[in-house]
Amino acid sequence: MTLQVHITQLGSAQRVLLKDLRFTVQPGHILTLMGPSGSGKSSVLAAIAGTLNHVAEGAQALRAQVSVQLNGQDIGALPTAQRGVGLLFQDPLLFAHLTVAENLLFAVPPGPRTQRWAQVQQALTEASLQGYGERDPATLSGGQRARVALMRALLAQPKALLLDEPFSKLDAALRDQFRAFVFDHIRARQIPAVLVTHDTADIAEPEHVMQLNHAG
Amino acid sequence: MTAFRLFWSTTLLLLAGGPLLAVAGLALASLFDATAWHALWQDPHALPALALTLWTGLASTVLAWWLSAALLAQGFVRQSLGRLLRGLPVMLATPHAALAIGLVFLLAPSGWVLRALSPWLTGFEFPPPWPTTQDPWGLGLIVALTAKEIPFLLWTAATQLQRDDVRQRWRSEHALAQTLGYSPQRAFWRVVWPQLSARLWWPLLAVLAYGLTVVDMALVIGPASPPTLAVLAWQWLQDADLAVNAQGAAAGGVLALALLAAALLWRAAQGLSARSGHALNGVRGAAPPPGNTSKSERVPVSFHLLAGLYGAVLLALAVGSVAGVWPFPRVWPEAVTGQAWQRVWDSRDTVGTTLGLALASAALALAWSVAWLELAPRRWDTALRPVLYVPLVLPAVLWVVGLYHLALWWRLEGQWLGLLLAHTSMVLPYVLLTLSPAYLGFDARYAALSASLGHGPWRFLWRIKWPLLRRALAASAAVGFAVSVAQYLPTLYVGAGRFNSVTTEAVNLAAGAQRSLTSAYAGLQFVLPVLAFALAAWLGAPRRFKGSRS
Repeated sequence: MTLQVHITQLGSAQRVLLKDLRFTVQPGHILTLMGPSGSGKSSVLAAIAGTLNHVAEGAQALRAQVSVQLNGQDIGALPTAQRGVGLLFQDPLLFAHLTVAENLLFAVPPGPRTQRWAQVQQALTEASLQGYGERDPATLSGGQRARVALMRALLAQPKALLLDEPFSKLDAALRDQFRAFVFDHIRARQIPAVLVTHDTADIAEPEHVMQLNHAG
Repeated sequence: MTAFRLFWSTTLLLLAGGPLLAVAGLALASLFDATAWHALWQDPHALPALALTLWTGLASTVLAWWLSAALLAQGFVRQSLGRLLRGLPVMLATPHAALAIGLVFLLAPSGWVLRALSPWLTGFEFPPPWPTTQDPWGLGLIVALTAKEIPFLLWTAATQLQRDDVRQRWRSEHALAQTLGYSPQRAFWRVVWPQLSARLWWPLLAVLAYGLTVVDMALVIGPASPPTLAVLAWQWLQDADLAVNAQGAAAGGVLALALLAAALLWRAAQGLSARSGHALNGVRGAAPPPGNTSKSERVPVSFHLLAGLYGAVLLALAVGSVAGVWPFPRVWPEAVTGQAWQRVWDSRDTVGTTLGLALASAALALAWSVAWLELAPRRWDTALRPVLYVPLVLPAVLWVVGLYHLALWWRLEGQWLGLLLAHTSMVLPYVLLTLSPAYLGFDARYAALSASLGHGPWRFLWRIKWPLLRRALAASAAVGFAVSVAQYLPTLYVGAGRFNSVTTEAVNLAAGAQRSLTSAYAGLQFVLPVLAFALAAWLGAPRRFKGSRS
């Protein structure tokens, strides 16, 4: 699976954030987008996932002219729910009214109950969280929550993964661990990923880095 | 914006904005009647009534404002705000009329206070002929209004202080001011209070509006001859003579002008005190006595006094509702009887009407608010807000005139549907006001996340967003329920006297001598909202997880 993105223009009514950005990410590879805050890094991810209207509303509504191809198929016109693009944010955003296991189950596609639960158990094991399924997500540590968030994104079987500074809120030791955890999973599943960060230590593949600057 | 959203936003806008604007327009239109204004000018009662209105409204607002500020200062400095707030819901849920009735039973010449002191201290064997409740100076009304508005102001201040970002910033600014040598108290007044009070302008305006235009409370505990202008207007509105009705509407217009003038006056006074430079005179204030730290985290005594007053009022209503023969100066009734409650049960239609209206109007308002906040563009919402708040700032006597005209127009006067319309128009602003901070503050990334997991919008709403907002949804519905239960003027006026609610019964009975029946209805008026809030707390309680320690 290959992710091809071409953003002709991205910006609000008042100003253009960026123009003519194109990149291709091969399966199992991670492209790192870098740039100062306000350069539109996160908006690029939102444009790919089709969530621009969720993230910015009101006066600064952002618009993008974007073409997104996943494995040769144009998904740019599809609603987010049908794009098959997973998202990971700075905060784990675990649903507070669901247990850890229910959070994961929410992501598993429909199917026989036992199979879905088996996938949840498998994911918990992969995240070294066996026995934590019944827990309130608020009782997990920061690193545990981050792992659950990744497993939840992966359980939806995304065809590509977008990472919006997912390491920036973790402390240094955890950050290295979790970064390796995320990258390993992406490579193991052979899906393309785009990572947005302002920290050079986060760079996944030095040969796949793009720098974003102010376009206007 | 998609066509779907545009269509539904427009529909919702017309559904709420249309009737509200129509009511406001009809109310204002009724003011264009020169003869009515002339009659009002000629009426010998009008001017003294207006003077009483200004006196009671302004005095109670100033008192409530500064007492609340003092409580907040102590609560903030001693970090006991959290505990202080725990006592608030019961006070907030107490309807105005019930509080007034309970206060009358405490303060009246034959009330509990004098019974407790007689005859051993006062020597009274009979109730003295004192005008302690419907006193001509409006003191009873001022006490009642102040006691009722302090919890409201505290609660609105608390909603500001409970926002994490705001609280942390103010805490650190407060600490910073102390490093500059200001005492904790002084640091609050110089740094935190100016920022906090600026955000309390709209709640203050609501308090001012209520104090100047209240009818039900003034009927119970306010002066009688002359009464306040709002009560006078209400009496004129109920007159059989149309010319007198118009005079009542004009009096409502005078109240609106009085409110406007008072608001401007308040603003001017605030501006003057800000420009005096008093806040920047550099006076540091006395250092707190050493060893004071052990006393910190204590709730201020004055708050206990307020809570005690509410407790006494509720006890007076509870005891009064089962009291049989109760001669002065006995502290407790000689006989206990369930007669009053039996009579309440016999006319359970009254309770049924109250419940039905409250449930229906709260449900309607909640459904509308959720749909509106979910669908309407933010700019529309901002534009609609002033219209929605019109029922809150327009004098109630004027508002019911507009409501009545609209009901006449739609042939709904004296009908349940008309009552529902009237109640919903009052309930809607409160529900939207209490729901919107949480609803609009909901992290938009959850929607993106849920969609990225492959779920459609409905599934997101039902499985994620609404469950996560359960508490705010339940609380705002309960607020709507309580507002509906407390409605007095719309129920009587739009219902054309054909419908009785717990509140109309309590207020109407308060003028008579049936202490036990009055207490029973006033008690019910209090119990129904409290039950609603308890139910909301239960429904909105965060989920309990197995095996977690928190």
